[in-house]
Amino acid sequence: MESPDQYNFSIFRPRNLHGRKNRNVIFTMLLIWAVTVFGFQFLLRGIQKPVPEKTLIMFESVWPKVLADDLSRDDYRSLLNSFVLVKGKNMVKPADQELLSDAISCAVFISMPDTLRSILLAEVAGIKSLKSQLVTAGGNDYLELSDQIREKYRSVIGMSEQYTGFREGSLEAPFLAASLNDTYPPSLNDASFAGLPDMMKFYLTHYQSVLTDTTFLGFPFHYFYTAVFLLVLFIALCIAYNILVEWRLRKEGVVE
Amino acid sequence: MKKIYLSLILTFSGVISANAESLTQLEGSFKTGPAIILIAILVIFVMVGVFFRAKDPADYYAAGRKISRVGSGMAIASNWMSAASVLGMAGMMYGFGYNGLAYVVGWTGGYVLLLILMAAQIRKYGKYTAPDFIGDRYYSRDLRIASAIFTILISFAYCVGQFGGIGLMFKWIMGLDYAWAVIIGASVVLMYTLLSGMIGATKNMQIQYVIIVTSFLLPTFIMAFKFDYFWLLPQIGYGAVVTDIVQGIPAPNISDGMALLNAYGHDFSVVPSPEYAMPWDPSTDTTFFQWVAICFSLMVGTAGLPHVIQRFYVVPKVTDARWSVVWGLFFISLVYWTAPIYSAFGKVLSSSPEVGVLAKDAIVVYTAQLAGINSLIVGLLAAGAISAAFSTVSGLLVAGASAFSHDLYVRVINPDSTPKQQLKIARIGTVIMALAVTIVALLKLGLIAQLVSVAFSMAACTIFPLFLLGIWWSGSNRAGAKAGLTTGVLVTTISITYFIVGLSGGSLPGQEFISYWLNVWYFAWIGAPLAVIVNIVVSKLTTPTPLEIKKFLAEQVHN
Repeated sequence: MESPDQYNFSIFRPRNLHGRKNRNVIFTMLLIWAVTVFGFQFLLRGIQKPVPEKTLIMFESVWPKVLADDLSRDDYRSLLNSFVLVKGKNMVKPADQELLSDAISCAVFISMPDTLRSILLAEVAGIKSLKSQLVTAGGNDYLELSDQIREKYRSVIGMSEQYTGFREGSLEAPFLAASLNDTYPPSLNDASFAGLPDMMKFYLTHYQSVLTDTTFLGFPFHYFYTAVFLLVLFIALCIAYNILVEWRLRKEGVVE
Repeated sequence: MKKIYLSLILTFSGVISANAESLTQLEGSFKTGPAIILIAILVIFVMVGVFFRAKDPADYYAAGRKISRVGSGMAIASNWMSAASVLGMAGMMYGFGYNGLAYVVGWTGGYVLLLILMAAQIRKYGKYTAPDFIGDRYYSRDLRIASAIFTILISFAYCVGQFGGIGLMFKWIMGLDYAWAVIIGASVVLMYTLLSGMIGATKNMQIQYVIIVTSFLLPTFIMAFKFDYFWLLPQIGYGAVVTDIVQGIPAPNISDGMALLNAYGHDFSVVPSPEYAMPWDPSTDTTFFQWVAICFSLMVGTAGLPHVIQRFYVVPKVTDARWSVVWGLFFISLVYWTAPIYSAFGKVLSSSPEVGVLAKDAIVVYTAQLAGINSLIVGLLAAGAISAAFSTVSGLLVAGASAFSHDLYVRVINPDSTPKQQLKIARIGTVIMALAVTIVALLKLGLIAQLVSVAFSMAACTIFPLFLLGIWWSGSNRAGAKAGLTTGVLVTTISITYFIVGLSGGSLPGQEFISYWLNVWYFAWIGAPLAVIVNIVVSKLTTPTPLEIKKFLAEQVHN
């Protein structure tokens, strides 16, 4: 007479020695898998610290002077530089992009003589018009429009260089040219002006630790670990499991 | 050395400038070379499909169990590597930084679970489809029907992202409107699946894998070489690109208006962008919890996807099932090690304000274009992406059609049907599903990788708990399985309902809370464990599993 309990099976309570060994292999593999994947991320989370970029330190050193209306020429350039370096990040949200454009335009135009400002505003309006045509253009028209825009960018950079300090070919210059609005005074109101420090802090503070700051094979270590090493480990785990299982099956004379 | 590079760049700049400039326009026109490559590849697929056409239901569902370990591994990889892997994953890293790596780890780490907990046991159980297993193991017609329906829904959700990817690539190559691109792409993949069935699909998957890997890897070698990174193994060489993005790349020198090389040897520049690589950076709108939840949901979902599980029925022996996972994972990893390269180069090449932020789902081809790679190679890349979507869609349509025909029609509606009738029903099911997927794909509900992750969470909440407990605990009974499945379905329904309401601009009680903690892209982090716990508790409280099931498990599956 067969008893229902005779065939009870659970991974936690194997029925024989083979089952127990199998369970131990499975649990060992799962433990390695869980610790290497999630354990590392928890470690990363545990030791991280918010670290400001140099740009934020630069911005925060001049912002009190902005509020006190006591900017030197160098301070003014530092402020503009910090805005432009955030604008150049391509993860900035559209609303913040607009705010930055306003801030950059304000900082550039405010220091210029009226005549130059008018010329510059006309150039920026021209770029805007060309860009709107670019959306629907194709083939040679597209290439011609692109060249014209590039030429106007050069012109804007050249005209504003004396006031911004950004030379053509510098990292900041193209972002400056692409950020300027075609209206003055810009639409930067008191509320958005007051929100600038928080926005700068948001984009210029990052969670870092020894795991992110250490470089390995050219990668930040944590990036290498997650993007490259874990995949190698998964394959190694699978191979080890198969070899182990088949070795045991052969040893125990089990035919599947 | 620097002078050599400089002179090379100056020499070639004239030659490539026309080509590079024309490539600046990323969309919009009909691309002859890529179109010819695409058509040639599609013709090969259809011919292989016709040549290896299914002759009876055994061929249609399980390829006659004639596939080798490596062949099955290639088929697993090809079946697995969808538009989400080839197009979507790089887009996630481009748009969400380190958070995108949760997709890389989630979609590979799940194979460890699949191997250790599922592959050999499923093959030993000896059933054709997931509903077959569930219906038999839980001695329940209702559960067979429910799991068949869920198999169809999971395949459906998975297909939506694929059709979106096919549409994007057809749009890019043909210069068509997105809607027409989706419709034409869907028609071609449907025709192919109807002609071939799984045996044709399995043969094709091996060819598709070779095309996907070749087309995907080739541009990365070229980009690494061209931009002076370690090109012999770009999967390691791009580490320096990531570090350059984090630290920023100074502007190049200018001579007569032309960009030369900067101190790093590059002719491009990037502002310091640590947010690209630093974990869960605030500016990417992602959190540590989301990283873990996405990764866990994708891993568990991998082990519960019917069309993946189904592949273990097509290998001749149990040991083949195990080794096919290893081969499959290796072949998959080749692509997954490579996807971040596109994201990294995409980041530096789109850093100029003249280019601006790129559309995430097309980042792979856009990056190759911006790098000035020959348009035929970029065309091959796009055709490879379409191959990836095709191979997955054909597997999914077969899995969905199998559930419809084999598990619903033959087992429930008409058990006396002839093989000819069964094949006809499978084909009708395929057509209906493809039509429905096309309609939903036209709505553009999200990014490809995100749409596909819905299918993973659904599978993790519904199919995975039934397989896990069905294999590893004889005490899991019919009542427990029904209760567990109901829990999984409930979590899935809540998440999807809140997503749809949110998408349409509405709001339900706790909208913000549910949208974060039970987000449609990763709700399985809680849904799957809950379904397992409920299954265990209810099984403990109700009539035990019948003796013959326990005996079968003990003697056939675990002995």
